[in-house]
Amino acid sequence: MGKSIALHIRSASFFHGRKGTGPKVHQPVVDVVIRTISMVILGFFVILIIVPLLNYFSLAFNDPTYNENVIIFPIRWDFSSFAYLFSSNSEGFWKSFVNSLIITLVVTVISNLIEAMAAYPLSKLDCPFRKGILMYFVITMLFSAGIVPIYLLMRSFNLLDNIWSIILCSISNVFNLLFYKSFFESVPKEIEEAATVDGAGSLRLFFDIVVPMALPVFGSCCFFTIVDMWNGYGAALIFIKTSATDSMPLAYYLYVMMTQDTSKTQYDIFLQTHMDNIQAASFLISIIPILLIYPYVVKYIKSGATLGSVKE
Amino acid sequence: MTNSASERRLTSPYHQKNFFEKTAEGFKKNRSIFWFLIPAMAFSLIFSYIPMFGVTFAFKDTSFNDAMRRHASILGALIYSHWTLNTFASIFDNTFWAALSNSLIINLLKLFLIFPLSIILAIQLADMKSQKLAKLILIILCIPDFLSWTVVIKIWTNFFNPDTGLLGRLLAGVTSGNHVTYFEASFKPLFLFYAAWKGTGWGSILYYAAITSIDKSFYEAATVEGANLFQKAIYLTIPSIGATIALMMVLSISGFTSVGLEQAQLMLNGASYYEKEWTLDLYIWQLSIGDGAGVNYVQAAAVGVFNGFVSLFLMLTGNVLTTKFLHEGLW
Repeated sequence: MGKSIALHIRSASFFHGRKGTGPKVHQPVVDVVIRTISMVILGFFVILIIVPLLNYFSLAFNDPTYNENVIIFPIRWDFSSFAYLFSSNSEGFWKSFVNSLIITLVVTVISNLIEAMAAYPLSKLDCPFRKGILMYFVITMLFSAGIVPIYLLMRSFNLLDNIWSIILCSISNVFNLLFYKSFFESVPKEIEEAATVDGAGSLRLFFDIVVPMALPVFGSCCFFTIVDMWNGYGAALIFIKTSATDSMPLAYYLYVMMTQDTSKTQYDIFLQTHMDNIQAASFLISIIPILLIYPYVVKYIKSGATLGSVKE
Repeated sequence: MTNSASERRLTSPYHQKNFFEKTAEGFKKNRSIFWFLIPAMAFSLIFSYIPMFGVTFAFKDTSFNDAMRRHASILGALIYSHWTLNTFASIFDNTFWAALSNSLIINLLKLFLIFPLSIILAIQLADMKSQKLAKLILIILCIPDFLSWTVVIKIWTNFFNPDTGLLGRLLAGVTSGNHVTYFEASFKPLFLFYAAWKGTGWGSILYYAAITSIDKSFYEAATVEGANLFQKAIYLTIPSIGATIALMMVLSISGFTSVGLEQAQLMLNGASYYEKEWTLDLYIWQLSIGDGAGVNYVQAAAVGVFNGFVSLFLMLTGNVLTTKFLHEGLW
């Protein structure tokens, strides 16, 4: 694919030069060479991304006897892996799927709400102790005492092997706070002053005027929180034992499924033969929620990622 | 008389308000939104500040470990175990130095190999004739960043598998299976490759946005002057996005002791001969959670405190550097 695009561009520029309709400026030969090499490299990157993805996920739809022959499409279509996942044998998978949904939803809503709320007074220049409170938040980003204290704290709260340990320790997010603060600071003062003159109280001002203006920022912060919470399982590695199958987030469940000893499969012939295919199918289902929000990524890229260039 | 004088003083536009007057006025003006701070401050207090007292665990002897294994209360264990400095002296063993140097080497290699890759990619994409195609490529290159590490590692172990994998069988044909032993013995190249595969596309978005916002007339002028693409990239594009590059570089240096627990955990856990390849995150994890057998809370706390101070130092240095060269702090 990459090569054909490169050839296309080369021939296009060739005809362009011969007809002489373009600008008089002579395009250096070096440029043509660089563009060609660059297109080949980009094409190689695209192949490097797409081929392993398709190669792996076609296993989910493939008959296990032909697993070795898969290149990028299933050899013989077989949906029994999905049937297995939707049967009563895979309760653990769906339990962890629901756990992940709960964790992602709760953390995204609460974290972004409280960080945006805290950022609002901090964006006011006349807020008393503004610098001090800001430092209070920044210090938590700068220094942490490691995982032992938080682990022992959660243990004394009796929250080990419980999804709430993951939720509680993920809510504080100073990075988002700084992001919201820098946006609120850029809101023109006149808008808020006009609303105050019209008799809006501070609460109404925040929820009816400032928040609607900040929706793109909310969108991108929530999006990052969702991706982090859905895919990350660093907190689960600390707080959840590999035996506590009822309270695992999905990514952690898949990690355990992938790395643990598969001794229980010896009683299940179907699981034994379909192991790779079932794993591929469950990985495929696990990325569906992220695929659902991927259009947002596309929008984010198309809008020129201007939000990303706001100072962190 | 004094009353009206002080009144005049307060209402005079030339009067410099003192700290207390300013604070009181600020409170009065912001009183209805000041409580907005409370939930976030409470979460920080409970889940960031209270654990900071865990620094004290690093100055306890092993009787603290025993108390913790008996599930005694933390305060009780803190009171009844002995204070010592030996834990701190004993953390600097071979495993620790190996873990620290592995983390630093991996992050240095990331900085020199993967970090420029995102920039080069962004320059290539921004230079393309069809920007629609460039955005399509960017969207494809971003996909791996939205997969969890489990999926990424699984995809590639499957791909490299010498019996069933697509590339693995090709490699096995050439190297007669030697690539598997190579991959097992040498962990860093593969580690970097996976990190690059996952993060490069997403990392280039920021630079792509910065490059596309550069004034096009600069490039036209350069073309008239006869500059080729390479010269334009070196003398025009990179200086124009220098601030973005510097900011991202400082941010990545700030996290230099950490390489991501999940990836290291997936690639290294399980086999004891990998111990010399452990990263600092994984070492701390092994000491504090592990498989339960080698748990040593005081040692883990000491290594964690050391790590905390190193990253604090790096962050502060990064902030000084950005303030000096970019005239903007990190926060």
